[in-house]
Amino acid sequence: MSYVAQKCGVQLQPPSIVLIYEDRSKNNVRKRIMPIRNFSKFSDCSRAAEQLKNNPRHKTYLEGVSLEQLKRLHHLLRCHLQGQTLSQSLKQVEQKEIIDPEEDLNKLNDEELGQRKRIMDELFEKNRKRKDDPDFIYNVEVEFPQDKELEACEWDTETDDEF
Amino acid sequence: MERFLVDGFKPQQLSTFALTLYKYTATVDGKTILVDFWDTAGQERFQSMHASYYHKAHACIMVFDVQRKVTYKNLSNWYKELREFRPQIPCIVVANKIDADVKATQKSFNFPRKLNLPLYFVSAADGTNVVKLFSDAIKLAVAYKRNSEDFMDEVLKELENFELETKEEDSPAEETSQGEPVCLSPGNG
Ligand SMILES: Nc1nc2c(ncn2[C@@H]2O[C@H](COP(=O)(O)OP(=O)(O)OP(=O)(O)O)[C@@H](O)[C@H]2O)c(=O)[nH]1
Ligand SMILES: [Mg+2]
Repeated sequence: MSYVAQKCGVQLQPPSIVLIYEDRSKNNVRKRIMPIRNFSKFSDCSRAAEQLKNNPRHKTYLEGVSLEQLKRLHHLLRCHLQGQTLSQSLKQVEQKEIIDPEEDLNKLNDEELGQRKRIMDELFEKNRKRKDDPDFIYNVEVEFPQDKELEACEWDTETDDEF
Repeated sequence: MERFLVDGFKPQQLSTFALTLYKYTATVDGKTILVDFWDTAGQERFQSMHASYYHKAHACIMVFDVQRKVTYKNLSNWYKELREFRPQIPCIVVANKIDADVKATQKSFNFPRKLNLPLYFVSAADGTNVVKLFSDAIKLAVAYKRNSEDFMDEVLKELENFELETKEEDSPAEETSQGEPVCLSPGNG
């Protein structure tokens, strides 16, 4: 393939995916701006990413860009359209809110469960303190008193007398 | 589990039971005891194994994920099931993943409050309260086992007296169980 992707990012205005790639046949580096049309704060990011990846005009350029990354970039655009700040958006995309907090993972098969866990593992690994970290402490105790006046957890409100 | 044991862990996978077994030696009140941790799977297809999970457990740790409501909501079912098999054993509720959402620690949770169960805020990732959780669970398990043994001793004594009065026979030998199985219910819900 004569187009080698180097970097892929977003441009918020107008919403576009930006690709920096090397054109091997001409031996130069170029920038390609791919506008994302008909994309709103309600759009399905996975579908939009697939459409872009399969778009006949763009697909040869995007071969070296993973679908996952395109999904993430669409998420960023969507967060922006929802009025979030860039840092909020980045945080959300990092956590890949593809994990649906209402989904009961115990009802999934091994493969589906494994896929969800891989997503959650990313944050786990990022926040993980390892035994060989210089600041590792074996016993980390932090008190979070439950007796003082606390805000009730919103998960309780609807079904208060369930337990 | 692995954060608590850090490097001294050599788990035994019992895949037919969807169970991971960890052995641990603890010291409680100057006495050495052998602890069996049973890390159980939450997936529904292992439902038929549950009875064996609870069998002879002396304490139970039930974990939910502060980022996933469904895991919290499912606690009541796990708890009901636990109490069918083990009506009396100590049970601890764990709010895990507080590294991902610290705000959770500023909230009050009805489920443990209403049932009067201890609640621990934990992060398996950064280690917050992991060691405390397991040490406390072990203490509770040992205390429970001791009390139920005292109770059994008394029952046996009563039985002995009763038997001496009626027939002259040997009292039954009690089966000795090793270790303190601590049942860990899974956080997937
Ligand atoms: N950020 C963060 N992620 C965690 C923490 N603990 C577990 N996870 C992640 O949450 C996901 C589920 O954790 P598991 O330990 O597999 O959950 P489980 O309840 O044992 O699941 P089953 O055994 O399948 O029922 C994994 O992707 C972990 O990486 C934590 O303290 N912090
Ligand atoms: Mg598990």
